[in-house]
Amino acid sequence: MSPAAATPALSLAGIEKRFPGVHALKDVSIDIMPGEVVGLIGENGAGKSTLMKILSGVYQPDGGEIRLGGQPTRFMNAADANLQGIGMVFQEQSLLTNLSVGENIYLGTEAAFTRFGMIDWKALNAAASRQLEKVEVDVDPRARTADLDFATRQMVELAKTLTLEDQAAGHLVILLDEPTSVLERAEIEILFSRVRALKSRASFIFVSHRLDEVLELSDRIYVMKDGAVVADLPAADANVTQLHQLMVGRSLQAEYYREGLQKPFQDEVVVEAEALSLGHDYRDVSFSLHAGEILGIAGVIGSGREELTRTLAGFAPHDRGKLRIGGKEVRFRTPAEAVDNGMGYIPRERRVEGLVLFLSVAANITLGNLRSLTRNGLIDNREERRLATRWVDRLNVKTPSIDALCLNLSGGNQQKVVLAKWLNAKAKVLILDHPTRGLDVGAKEEVYELVRAVTAEGVAVVLTSDTLEETIGLSHTVLVMRDGAITHRADARPGGKPTQVELIEHMV
Amino acid sequence: MTPSADAESPRASASPKSAMHRFRLASWAPVIVLVLLCAVIAVINPNFLSFGNFVRIAQAAMIPLVLGLGATFIILMGSIDLSVEGILTLSAVILSLLVLNGANGNDLGLLAIPLVLLVGAGVGFINGAVHVKLKVPSFMTTLGTWFIGVGVANALLGGTAVRINDKLVRALAISRDPLVGLPWGVWIAIFCFFVALVIQNYTRLGRYIYALGGGEDLAGLSGIRASRVRIMAFTLAGVFYAVGGILAAAQLGLGNSQIGLGRLFTTITAVVVGGTSLAGGSGSVQQTLVGVLVVVVLSNGMVLMGIPPSVQIGVQGLMIIAAVALSMDRKLVRIVK
Amino acid sequence: MRALIDSIGADRIRQYLPLATLVILVIAVGVAQPAFLEPATLLQLAADTAVLFILATGVTFVIMLGGIDLSLQSMASLASVIVALTITRLGYGAFVLAVAVGAIVGLLAGLAHVRLRIPSFIATLAMGGVLFSAALVISHEQSITLGEAERGYQTWITGSVAGVPSVVIVGLIVLVVAHILQSRTAFGRYSAAIGAGEPAAYASGVKVDRQKVIAYALSASFAALAGVILAGRLSSGSPTLAAELLLPSIAAVVVGGTAITGGVGSIWRTLVGALIISVVRIGMTFLGVNIFAQNIVFGAVLIIAVAITIDRSKIPIVK
Repeated sequence: MSPAAATPALSLAGIEKRFPGVHALKDVSIDIMPGEVVGLIGENGAGKSTLMKILSGVYQPDGGEIRLGGQPTRFMNAADANLQGIGMVFQEQSLLTNLSVGENIYLGTEAAFTRFGMIDWKALNAAASRQLEKVEVDVDPRARTADLDFATRQMVELAKTLTLEDQAAGHLVILLDEPTSVLERAEIEILFSRVRALKSRASFIFVSHRLDEVLELSDRIYVMKDGAVVADLPAADANVTQLHQLMVGRSLQAEYYREGLQKPFQDEVVVEAEALSLGHDYRDVSFSLHAGEILGIAGVIGSGREELTRTLAGFAPHDRGKLRIGGKEVRFRTPAEAVDNGMGYIPRERRVEGLVLFLSVAANITLGNLRSLTRNGLIDNREERRLATRWVDRLNVKTPSIDALCLNLSGGNQQKVVLAKWLNAKAKVLILDHPTRGLDVGAKEEVYELVRAVTAEGVAVVLTSDTLEETIGLSHTVLVMRDGAITHRADARPGGKPTQVELIEHMV
Repeated sequence: MTPSADAESPRASASPKSAMHRFRLASWAPVIVLVLLCAVIAVINPNFLSFGNFVRIAQAAMIPLVLGLGATFIILMGSIDLSVEGILTLSAVILSLLVLNGANGNDLGLLAIPLVLLVGAGVGFINGAVHVKLKVPSFMTTLGTWFIGVGVANALLGGTAVRINDKLVRALAISRDPLVGLPWGVWIAIFCFFVALVIQNYTRLGRYIYALGGGEDLAGLSGIRASRVRIMAFTLAGVFYAVGGILAAAQLGLGNSQIGLGRLFTTITAVVVGGTSLAGGSGSVQQTLVGVLVVVVLSNGMVLMGIPPSVQIGVQGLMIIAAVALSMDRKLVRIVK
Repeated sequence: MRALIDSIGADRIRQYLPLATLVILVIAVGVAQPAFLEPATLLQLAADTAVLFILATGVTFVIMLGGIDLSLQSMASLASVIVALTITRLGYGAFVLAVAVGAIVGLLAGLAHVRLRIPSFIATLAMGGVLFSAALVISHEQSITLGEAERGYQTWITGSVAGVPSVVIVGLIVLVVAHILQSRTAFGRYSAAIGAGEPAAYASGVKVDRQKVIAYALSASFAALAGVILAGRLSSGSPTLAAELLLPSIAAVVVGGTAITGGVGSIWRTLVGALIISVVRIGMTFLGVNIFAQNIVFGAVLIIAVAITIDRSKIPIVK
């Protein structure tokens, strides 16, 4: 198909989007032809989700133009985007599980079936059946959505999206955001065959981490990196290795991650996991973490690394295998138990789980270890202020005073307060869950330097990160996970770091 | 479960089935409890099965049912309405002051009823509007209107009680239909039940109330205007409480400020015992009917067994805790406030 | 930066709003009725506020955590009945017994709330029913008058020290104890942290459930103490003795500036709030507002105060 020949169903021209401290989308231009399936790939943070949110009307672009069938337009909100023919099938499913299939398909548009204020369920369910036929799924529209498996729900969502055909004037464009992440292989086949069959009715944008699937389903593929489109190539000409390289792009900057400061770790084993497993989330995970070691865990969404991290932080106790901290076998049922065993969790949701935003800097720093400040049942306020001042000075936290609310600090300084909390609690192991998410470059560098400094003092670190670059740059050792199991272990000494392509091969 | 190739998809296999199982069990448990309760009481005291006692139960159930219907819609949205007693008392007092009564010269007769329903709708609308527009959580808004309602009723009464002399109004609760022999009030409650059933099952408002309870953010994605639905639901509930007020005034033959005492408690007990989830999204007016019957039959049985009424409030309190504890999915919610 | 200054400014105004309201109210009532400003009248005002303040203080601990206690009036009434029934046999022990029952009741309500994951308003509403029932049963549904012989035990409530009513002194002791608990202990700090950001407190290793149970136990204990004092002042115990005090107590906390979303608040604010409620009550009585109709004002004040103090950023979906 030649893009010049026909008018694109949807086209984005020079889209810009900025958030405080982040240039999320840089001059992004994308065309989708009628009946085309366009794949959209990129690492976490490359800008895919921001782009999808602009397409679905959740965000407004700061610059550039959206054209539908050649006409410039704007999407005021999700409902407006719907009316203009943009459908969405989300990774987190958007069906209400307490309603029936038919109710979900026509939720918000029952007016068409309403006579004298009463909904004609027979007519609605019959219409819902016709929508379900379009996606060839055999479900009673009266079935409760909660009773369906996830693959069927995905199909129902597709059917719901197709009702837009009757409302929208133009050609349908359906966004498929990681639709396969909860599906099994056979179910994926069915989804793909439905999508192919529906190409006469709609165009699709397919976002996925699974490159083989993107190659299989798409006609054309856009590759994004750091908020910009770096490649646009026909799927027939592409292969997985090539896509990996396009996604990764730039060479490693050793200096950036302070590799010069990376010291060999000590012999003492701090954390030992032996065939650690949790339900369907991860299984048979074994590793040893030494004092002063940074252990990076790489993997895509659904690889189990997030759940493994949560287990170490005390949120999701493992159900099989052994976990030893300092030689003692443990099983954390609550974060409090993890903290008592010397773990310190630096969560990705810094503003939700990291800090109590409406408490002062001092109160946050001492929150993990208030007991040591308590004399005869009362908090020693002078000692508390002394400690807080010391940590603020040592970590160079920029705050008007230790009494300022954490709410008013910048992201980087907030992260330093979280770090100070665990250093004050004398944590032996830090769990860094996407520690630099949302930080600007300068703040990132400060975090890297602090992480190097604490590991030099013997603190062990488990790291999961948004980018492979960061994982490789910081870690002593990298574990790669896929579908809940470890698929690769790489030594990451300075000078002998693995390449991103080498790791990605084991991730997808 | 052992990890294997077919366990690849993390959520697909396990959760929907167990959710289904829980749903089925939860919706039938109250019926089973009701049947067992009836059986036990009938064995202990065969009088329980007499027609006279049946009428007594129906009469005792009519007001809790009407109140429960209104509250069900609110609880289905995941909200709560504590203003039941406020609206009921206010409605009862206004009714007693509008019909032929012992305190003033009014004599509107049955014409007073639509006016009272309008008052209920008005207070319900205020509940909804304050809750939505000022973003005050419903339990605080309705805690306030609870006392405002009783306060206004008191102010209207000036600390006394007003006797209702209108024969037709009194007949609502007292005289019986010639066919079955049930008081007209019971028929009114049954009529309200069917109205509620139709609203729940056949109107957009009913659907949207479920949708809001199932996930307000997701419902919003489908273009549902949550604030409008909330205001309408609170208004609707207000009308049901006003019906409750009319029935209560008719039954007592008086409008006084204590007429609502203890009714909030019975209402919430009935709704949660019926199995409607406080988290919203699941439950129904049919389940509330069952819940009302459980509560009423239990207290009827306790009376038959000679247990003082004062114990019943305590029993209801324990029933609330048990019913909520059984219906909560504790795995899903970690933060409960 | 500008936004920062604005928010501090707004917060500062908000912080002193209750105190300013109190001062204006006192002046207004004082102008209308100069006798109100005489020391004796003001002491009487303090004495009349004590019970409300103690109830409000208890529920402040719970509200700080983001919860609510709707059983406090039933607990206070039950405590009055317990005192009335046992004072002949137990003497001062009756007071201890009543407060101990309060502690146990609060413990149970707290455990029902955290273990069974029942929302606090429903757990305490249900508990309130159980307590009311218990009070009805043990009192045989009657008000029990304290005999002359037992009045001796009540001097710490009804007497006065150097012209100051004893109950005011009791109130001050409660103020000091509660203030220390709330501002100087780990429990107080954890409560504020849980109320302000429960996920962060949990992730920081705070034993959230334990703190919550302690708060409910405190709330019920303070309610029991208030009931004991009420029994002393009214020389009787009855299952409905404190029935009218739920709304003013919660209103006092909220009017004082403690947000029902939790995290922000203090015992001082509750004191100011309780005094506001008392002065408003006196003002209304002075204006001749029917004592029953005063609930209209308290209900409206409650809703308005919640609307002003609530932190909407914490509740994206208000239910």
